Amino acid sequence: MVNYLIAILTFVLIYAILSLGLNVQWGFAGLVNLGHVGLFAVGAYTSALLAKLGVPIFFSLIAAMVFAALFGGLLSLTTLRLREDFLAIVTLGFSEILRLFLLNEAWLTGGANGIIAIPRPLQQYFAKHYDLFYIAVLAVALILIFLFLERLRLSPYGRMLRAIREDELVAATAGKNVFRSKVQAFTLGAALAGLAGAFYAHCLSYIAPEMFVPMVSINVWVALIAGGSGNNKGAILGAFVLMGFLEGTRFLKDFIPLLTGFRLAAVREILVGLFLILLMIYRQEGILPEEKINDAATIPAPPQA
Amino acid sequence: MAEQFLQFVLNGFLSGGILALPAIAFSLLYGILRFPNFAIGTYITAGGFIAFAANVTLRLPLPVAFLLTMVFTGLLGIGVDRFAFRPMRQRRSLTLAIVSIGVSFILENICRFIWGNDLRSYNLPVSRGMEWGGLRVGKEQLVIVLVSLAFMVLVQVLLRYTRLGKAMRAVADNAMLASVKGIDSEGIILRTSFLGAALTGAAGVMLGVDTAIDPLMGFKLILSIFAAAIVGGIGSATTAVGGAFFVGLAEEISMIWLPATYKSAIGFGMIVLILLFRPAGLFRRTRVI
Repeated sequence: MVNYLIAILTFVLIYAILSLGLNVQWGFAGLVNLGHVGLFAVGAYTSALLAKLGVPIFFSLIAAMVFAALFGGLLSLTTLRLREDFLAIVTLGFSEILRLFLLNEAWLTGGANGIIAIPRPLQQYFAKHYDLFYIAVLAVALILIFLFLERLRLSPYGRMLRAIREDELVAATAGKNVFRSKVQAFTLGAALAGLAGAFYAHCLSYIAPEMFVPMVSINVWVALIAGGSGNNKGAILGAFVLMGFLEGTRFLKDFIPLLTGFRLAAVREILVGLFLILLMIYRQEGILPEEKINDAATIPAPPQA
Repeated sequence: MAEQFLQFVLNGFLSGGILALPAIAFSLLYGILRFPNFAIGTYITAGGFIAFAANVTLRLPLPVAFLLTMVFTGLLGIGVDRFAFRPMRQRRSLTLAIVSIGVSFILENICRFIWGNDLRSYNLPVSRGMEWGGLRVGKEQLVIVLVSLAFMVLVQVLLRYTRLGKAMRAVADNAMLASVKGIDSEGIILRTSFLGAALTGAAGVMLGVDTAIDPLMGFKLILSIFAAAIVGGIGSATTAVGGAFFVGLAEEISMIWLPATYKSAIGFGMIVLILLFRPAGLFRRTRVI
């Protein structure tokens, strides 16, 4: 039972980083990304492949962020001028094509078999309680990211992203470089997804294309919307809610006979889909709605003439 | 080599024919509701499985199963609109697109729950394929293309010459103006939802005959369907047909150089290129719907 809870908590923390990344893109800047799982996969594969080549984990984590950021940057540079509903199609398509690449290019990615025996950092020092050590690392990373994003949210830059989200035209009229800021926000979110992917790969020490299906992107959306998009605390809370929800459905099989294997998996995905629809229809602001910041009050008053 | 090329062209026409129906559905629905409906992919899956239930479980002949499937997927389309899209009529397009993804996961997994992940096929007599100078065409494939072409013509007739078709075009053109003229837009949405889902369900049966039925059969096609509609020029049911054949041919012919698994990458590449450089579509006709 303890091991089970530890495993769940690990996934919650990884999902929380993913959800914070999506929050920068969608919550702060209003940019749709239905291909978050693709950036997650880029990070996972980058760090796993480099670590297997003997690159120290610290550098492979950084490389994972840089690579995911590159992909995110390229994706947003080419597509962010599109209308947002088409952006939804393109980002989802990106993650699917990336998955095809992972499946096909076995020389690099191991194909459908994936990558096995990915090194786990510092395992020799924490042989006994490695899971707890990993949770501590994840928690520290999550706290640092959270503090950074809170600063970002309250900074003039965060204010500008909100302005772009609410009305691009007004932001542009006020002299803000809307396109550049959007690309930056998208890239930052992508880097966080890449970092989450790297943590995921080293935690499981095994990755394969089947783990990086669109359902993961949808899960992250559910987490962010449920927790409260635009709110960093909400993004983290959402990861807990999502995992509680997913794991809670596991216990359904104790009450309903015949609910095993693929049936149970199907019921879980049905419930996630239903949850997403209900959230979108009835509670788009989530459990912790975005805090209202009086942006005007943070700007010093102009000197009186 | 030339023979091989012609075989790919032939296959391209077949997949274009199957893609055309969901592409028309996408365009009709987009024209009226103004959001990209991801659930269309799973109407294909639903169609495939409903016909499986009718044909294999209930032992009905396939043509009967086909017609029943169109009715049931049409009703499914109405149901989805009622429960998922109707409460959100005034919301932004993106919100509806995300809701449609939720719908898509739900329907796909209902199919998975009932029928599992195995590949299934219909109860069809084994027929010998026809061969002309080295080109192979199955009888089923020929029937599929003919039925699909018939539906394309029927949709054109409906849109151009019937009251319903004219009303659909009017709502697509300007919903406000249409309602001022007394067109009941909810009624039009209802009929369009039925028609779009029924056509897509029909494509699901065709795909199931041509390949196999499984829970992911529709979702795997979603990029190709979007590509067909976008290449044709979004919102136009007429040019969506051209887009479907274009995408179908391009995907099949690319198989000469690319491994088959990359098929949907072709559709994706087209989506990106067309949206970036020719957002009105490859043919740039005036909009009919």
